[in-house]
Amino acid sequence: MMSTAIFVAVAIFLVLFLLLIMRHEEVDEQESVQADASTRHECRDALQHQELVFRIFSREDREFILLMRSPRLQRIYQEERRKVALHWVRRTSREVSRIMRTHRLIARQSRNLDAGAEARLFFQYLQLRFICGLLVLLSKTFGPHALPDLASYAGELSQLIGRAVPDAAAANHVASSGIPGTP
Amino acid sequence: MLTMTIWWLAILLEALLLVRGLPGKLVRQFPIFYSYILFVFVEEFLRFSVYRWFSSHYSQVYWITQFLSLVIGSAVIFEIYRVGLRSFPGTARMARYLLLIVFGAVFAKALANPSGGLFWWFAKRSLVLERNLRIVQALAILTLVSLFLWYAIPFGRNLKGIVFGYGLFIAMSIVQLTLSYTWGDIRLFWPYVQPVSYLLVLGLWASALWSVQPVPEGKPAMQLEDDYEVLVASTRSQLRRTFARLGWAVRQ
Repeated sequence: MMSTAIFVAVAIFLVLFLLLIMRHEEVDEQESVQADASTRHECRDALQHQELVFRIFSREDREFILLMRSPRLQRIYQEERRKVALHWVRRTSREVSRIMRTHRLIARQSRNLDAGAEARLFFQYLQLRFICGLLVLLSKTFGPHALPDLASYAGELSQLIGRAVPDAAAANHVASSGIPGTP
Repeated sequence: MLTMTIWWLAILLEALLLVRGLPGKLVRQFPIFYSYILFVFVEEFLRFSVYRWFSSHYSQVYWITQFLSLVIGSAVIFEIYRVGLRSFPGTARMARYLLLIVFGAVFAKALANPSGGLFWWFAKRSLVLERNLRIVQALAILTLVSLFLWYAIPFGRNLKGIVFGYGLFIAMSIVQLTLSYTWGDIRLFWPYVQPVSYLLVLGLWASALWSVQPVPEGKPAMQLEDDYEVLVASTRSQLRRTFARLGWAVRQ
């Protein structure tokens, strides 16, 4: 009975994937890579400043509003800050998708593609999307300040990826090659 | 009467596919697919003749031709890989690795569990044998389609039609073969369900392969095409920065 369910599930998955193909739009990928690259410059300016992130998620603002002792003001503040935080997380999530999309569009033609590196990048991408999804969920449910537990996890992952970058020379090359989206 | 009508309709559609494909460029673009259609076309006539005049041998002829078409059908999957990824060596390389993993896993499962394994020498019944081979085909198509979608490989109308039609045919075969093995009542409907679903697939193919559509060629990639390691380092460093930003957000 179990195997029957698995076999039928394989068939259903196949049909779903085939339907995805039919929705798959044939666009000029080269143009979209260039479009991605130009919009990424704009996004990076809006997203990358540490001060902006500190401001959006700052506890000081909340404490200041609490000192006002105005429930109405607190409600407005919570609502506005939640919207801003959600907007920021969603844009970050889109930025992650754009980074991977650009990577895939170039990697698909590389003759020396490394399957292991691709798999690692894929899992890092999944982790990032998962964290963004979690941030959206938590921000919606509890507000933008209910996230301290995620902090340490994101920090650790960031350091892990930092160690995984192959070598400093390659990274330097990247910095000097003028790839869109790199400083 | 209904069975005969469906049968003749299928033969008509196969003939139409061949007539549209053989004189033009389509047969040069998809030689294995058209060989498959030609085989199925001849097979239908053979089965029809045996059914009509030597009905006692129909079952043997059916299963022999069925397995031959299954083998040629597997070559169609190879053609999807060959044509679709011709201009995308990176994705082609990834596809080879993933297909190796899929086939390796299937082989390992068959070795680990010989009584219920996936290979024909262990199979006791033709239905189980065909179903298991169809599942292997389905896994191969799933792998290829996932890669096509992930790497945004353009299909082109012709290849998209072949992939969609053959994938749909395999999915329907799996469902029918699985349920007929566990739920015997489906045998009552099977003589109608299978040919009708096959007619649907033929209709899809006839529509998608009505005329030659160019297979989209991959344009040369951007400045990093020759330096994959640099590309990976760049992507990782961008993802790392995003991780860091999310970290700042959460730490507040």
